[in-house]
Amino acid sequence: MATGTTSAPAQDERRRAPAGKVSFLASQRGRELTLVWLFLLPSLAIFALYRIIPMIWNVVLSLEFWSPYKPATFAGLYHYQEMLFYDDAFWEVVWNTILFMISAPVGIALALGVALMVNRPVRGREVYRTIVFMSYPVMTVAVGIIWQWLYNENVGLINYMLISLGVIDRGIPFLQSFDWALPAVIIASIWQVIGFYMIILLTGLQSIPPNLYEAASIDGASPAQSFRRITLPLLKPSIFLCFVVGIINSFTAFDLIFVMTGGGPGHSTDLLITYIYSNAFRLSKFDYAAAMTVANFLLFVALAFLANRLAGGDAGSVKREA
Amino acid sequence: MRARHWPTHLALGIVSAIMLLPFYWVLKTSLTGENIFVYPPALLPVDPHPFFFVDVWYAIPFFRYLVNSVIVSVIVVVANVFLNAMAGYALTRDFPGKAATILLFLSCMMIPFQVTIIPAYLITSKLGLLNSYFGMALPLMSTIVCIFIFKAAFEAIPKSLIEAARIDGVPDWMIMFRIVMPLTKPAIATNVILAFIWSWNSFLWPLVIVRDVEMQTLPLGLSRFLSVVEDTTGALYAFCVMVLVPGLVIFLLAQKEFITGLTSGATKG
Repeated sequence: MATGTTSAPAQDERRRAPAGKVSFLASQRGRELTLVWLFLLPSLAIFALYRIIPMIWNVVLSLEFWSPYKPATFAGLYHYQEMLFYDDAFWEVVWNTILFMISAPVGIALALGVALMVNRPVRGREVYRTIVFMSYPVMTVAVGIIWQWLYNENVGLINYMLISLGVIDRGIPFLQSFDWALPAVIIASIWQVIGFYMIILLTGLQSIPPNLYEAASIDGASPAQSFRRITLPLLKPSIFLCFVVGIINSFTAFDLIFVMTGGGPGHSTDLLITYIYSNAFRLSKFDYAAAMTVANFLLFVALAFLANRLAGGDAGSVKREA
Repeated sequence: MRARHWPTHLALGIVSAIMLLPFYWVLKTSLTGENIFVYPPALLPVDPHPFFFVDVWYAIPFFRYLVNSVIVSVIVVVANVFLNAMAGYALTRDFPGKAATILLFLSCMMIPFQVTIIPAYLITSKLGLLNSYFGMALPLMSTIVCIFIFKAAFEAIPKSLIEAARIDGVPDWMIMFRIVMPLTKPAIATNVILAFIWSWNSFLWPLVIVRDVEMQTLPLGLSRFLSVVEDTTGALYAFCVMVLVPGLVIFLLAQKEFITGLTSGATKG
């Protein structure tokens, strides 16, 4: 590992003179602390500017009447009242966001299947792994454009395949349909993120000691049993992690929805994040959008917390049982 | 007890086909254009030609978008490597407030950038950075995941090496850049690839702060082209392919570092 850089320290052995030990340490300590904070400063500044202050500002803004054109006045809970009681679209959008978030387990289950297969000693597993993962790092805007093309009513590949298989008679305008638009977007989103789930689950699978399986098979456990009693419990943390990724995906799905449907038809594919965007940057209702951002963040934290409790609680009980 | 592998291969083959089909379809369309009047759609490219790619080059300021994207990505990548390495190095030291700093970083990790866009936009506009490369890069310039990757890499370096250099009178900042950082090439590679992919694909943030067409990056240009050209032509898909290829090539070249970075970040979070 160390190549070519060891020459400077190599010389010092001879020069280890104990000259002025105490004052040396004191000044050294002072300089070290300065350096530590100087090194931390840029990163801390960026996180303060773009994470911490915005979170506080969101809350403040949500309690004000504010627009770029006039000074702020205190609004109390006005925006929250409007949001909860008078904005019908808000509840539709919240429901869409929750649907989007809780669709994550579908993708995770599929990814688990793939991860289990790729984890077996089959030839070319690296190739399969790369192919499945390849959709994750590509630009989401491009993914959106590709999928809205696949969903095309007349010449889209998906309609063509469904017609060829005899599932439907005529093409469905998936992204223009109130019933199909959200599931269609969710499928595209799962397609993109499934590789990431698979990688997380693979890492989890590879950290399970193989001798557990050997012991189980000596004890006469069937593969299904060892999957249920060994793999699943030990994979709980990875699955939880996937779920958090899935929830966060409901924020990053902005790109996908912006390109594929723009939130339409109506609000049927609007998630909170896209609805916030249009309220703030199309309608200039920054204050109202800030209130919804607070709601969005709370929803995210609540679901992550719930998932954590589920994963933690279950994992403990299964361990005791086994 | 040696399991037969063909069912696994069959299943993985089907999965791979599903994952690859969208890529294939967009590539096919970019070479042949769309024939709305031909049904069924041809599965294989009929009369492929490169003219849509030529269209993209001449009809769209593709080069401009590309340059903008590259500039922002370079700023982001360089800033990330230095700032994260510095912060990671600081976190290997003992200092008052260390636990609080780590806690702060970890809680910042729980704040998705998307929920900060409104104040982030207002802050950036107060800083006078709307419509600028630096403004586009600034929020992405340090990444908590990568700080912890650097921290772990630095901790793996023998303490005696650093001590020796320090006793030898090498200033601390120089120890970091001249002695420690060259030993953590894998961490640097991971950080470079992660920062590049994130900034290359970043869409919402530039969408919010860029008003000027001249400043648009590739994803913005792509989505703008989609909305301008209502009846989609092959050029849109050629544009898509041209945007996808650089990202994919870089991913395939640095796949290992990318995956290491993502999973180490994931297990930390």
